[in-house]
Amino acid sequence: MKLLKYTIYRLLQAIPVLIGISVITFLLANLGPGDPVSLMLQGQEHTEAQVRAIEQRYGLDKPLHERYVTYMAGLLQGDFGRSIHYRRPVADLMLERIGPTLLLVLSAYAFALVTAIPLGIIAANKRNEPTDHVSRIVALFGVSTPSFWIGIVLILIFAVKLGWFPSSGLVYPWRSPDSVRGISSYPELYYETLRHLLLPMIALGTLQMATIMRVERTQMIESLQGEYVKLARAYGVPERTILRKHAFNVAQLPIITIVGLNLSTAIGGAVLVETVFNINGMGRLFVDAIAQNDYQLVMGITMMLGFLFVMGVIITDISYAYVDPRVTYGESD
Amino acid sequence: MSSEPLLRVENLKTQFFTEAGTVRAVDGISFEVREGEIVGLVGESGAGKSVASMSLLRLVEDPGEIVAGEITYKGETIFGLEEGPNGELRERDDVLSNEEIRTRIRGNEIAVIFQDPMESLNPVFTVGGQLREFIELNRGLGEDEAKAEAIDMLREVGIPDPEQRYEEYPHQFSGGMRQRVLIAMALACEPSLIIADEPTTALDVTVEGQILDLVDELQAKYGTSFIWVTHDLGVVAEICDRVNVMYLGEIVEQAAVDDLFYDTKHPYTDALLDSMPRPDRTVDDLEPIEGVMPEAIDPPSGCRFHPRCPHAREVCKRVHPEPKIVAGDGEPHRAACVKHDAFDVGYDESPPLEDRGPTPSGEDSADTDSESGLAPNPTADDGGERRE
Repeated sequence: MKLLKYTIYRLLQAIPVLIGISVITFLLANLGPGDPVSLMLQGQEHTEAQVRAIEQRYGLDKPLHERYVTYMAGLLQGDFGRSIHYRRPVADLMLERIGPTLLLVLSAYAFALVTAIPLGIIAANKRNEPTDHVSRIVALFGVSTPSFWIGIVLILIFAVKLGWFPSSGLVYPWRSPDSVRGISSYPELYYETLRHLLLPMIALGTLQMATIMRVERTQMIESLQGEYVKLARAYGVPERTILRKHAFNVAQLPIITIVGLNLSTAIGGAVLVETVFNINGMGRLFVDAIAQNDYQLVMGITMMLGFLFVMGVIITDISYAYVDPRVTYGESD
Repeated sequence: MSSEPLLRVENLKTQFFTEAGTVRAVDGISFEVREGEIVGLVGESGAGKSVASMSLLRLVEDPGEIVAGEITYKGETIFGLEEGPNGELRERDDVLSNEEIRTRIRGNEIAVIFQDPMESLNPVFTVGGQLREFIELNRGLGEDEAKAEAIDMLREVGIPDPEQRYEEYPHQFSGGMRQRVLIAMALACEPSLIIADEPTTALDVTVEGQILDLVDELQAKYGTSFIWVTHDLGVVAEICDRVNVMYLGEIVEQAAVDDLFYDTKHPYTDALLDSMPRPDRTVDDLEPIEGVMPEAIDPPSGCRFHPRCPHAREVCKRVHPEPKIVAGDGEPHRAACVKHDAFDVGYDESPPLEDRGPTPSGEDSADTDSESGLAPNPTADDGGERRE
């Protein structure tokens, strides 16, 4: 009950943050260089009256604050405006593109967590032994290498040289198998998805893996030195139970924070990885929109990413409160 | 006294192999614990009390290791060495394996209460869950029985509403309440011996009193033996039957509690008693021990207390005293101080130490020691085994 109240409280807190994001996004998009009207005319011959007409049609003749209110009213109804370049609703474009991006980011996290947590635990348990040193080098490599470079190297080795995995594109698991060429059944479809996803997932996930692994190691070392671990040992608890339960549970709390807060870097990395692997996700849409000065689309995507990030932080907070009994719910009891 | 003691420790040595050198944290101590008694292990911090008590469970943390001695508990060997065919020391065959120590000794035979109740409980599990886990493990009970037992035990140690408190987390308990939980944990496993490692040091004095009363009461009821590790002679006087005073890894005095307080035989114990605040004396009357305890990595030659000892004479620098019986008609009263006749190394003829400064410390004296070029000292070498 307390947790539900806390959840609602945190969600309400997100509202002013989102309003702030929208104001800044709107101002930046409107104050930035480039003029949407001339973009629409694309160098065609035009009269002053035509420009007026376009401005009037899109409401560009109105003052900034009025336009903001109109924009926000649209947003609340799910209307993000129309893309100037694609001449389609921004919401539709984003809906098409968010799937691949979420798939990529989530699988990168899955890869990072599945590899980093066991590796971090092993490194902590075998502290200052060869495995620990190897993990340290891997982590150093992981945090200091840009994801796009890892992507290119992976393509070179596994796609070009060895030919094991495709170098570009993505097969969407939510499509029906018939819509994809050369595929007839669902198992085949999922297999293809996995094959396509593997390299970009590793490219994007390596940074997260390295970060999480180091934190996991530090936390496990600290936790293993805790008095409660000493107590468990003194009461004859087997060493693997201590590792898996007594020390492990305490050590996982900061991992949740890392995952939540690194969401923004992961999405930022996705932009580059999508470009390298030629995946039609939000990231590429975003890059194209900026290049084409498609300010409705830029605003829409910025709002969407801002929203995702804020939700990530809130989910982090809530899961923290759920996992760690010591967290108080912002009220004195 | 004629019956075999519950626990017997002979010449136990535990050392830490650090980069700076070998730290002789516990350096040849012998003592025993009999059934139903509370034995004190007293000394300043760094004297090796905690390492000694953890050695009994073979829970010495890296880079520490038990290197010599024998520990027997109820006729079983927790630690023991023998000479191998090539003269090397090896573990004896009758020494319990790591698995046996874990399943048969830790928790169900010898339980521990740690110093810091705030840190000793795992913050992410309920108090009841932790209690239940240890009971299940050490008494082979099922989940429901263990839970019932845990709640009974919480009630026994004076925690109100045990059914409700069972479900709560450690942070919802006060320090005193958490220490009660730790006591419940120890007792619930029904051990024959409980090692209490400074269990009241982190508590308020009023809470400390309550906990001591509780332990006294429960000890009488269950007949459990205790090793009470503390630096507080006040606590010792209150609950211990017999006392071992430790200084720099060695036991310097060993006696029944009354003998220790009324017929003190070692200057270090004297000094500890003098430095204890008492209602009949003002702070000005306190006589704190001069200097600080030297490092166990490079202990002073001869008697390790001589640099701080008001009775030290030249002979104290040379002769390393092992505890000997110096008094006591029922209970032997042992002390490791050459001023007693039992030693007969010429203390009375030996000149008093003159080369000490106004505030002697371990290091200063060690320096002057080597400068003055006194008789070569067999006990002062660094790495090698000391002559017994």
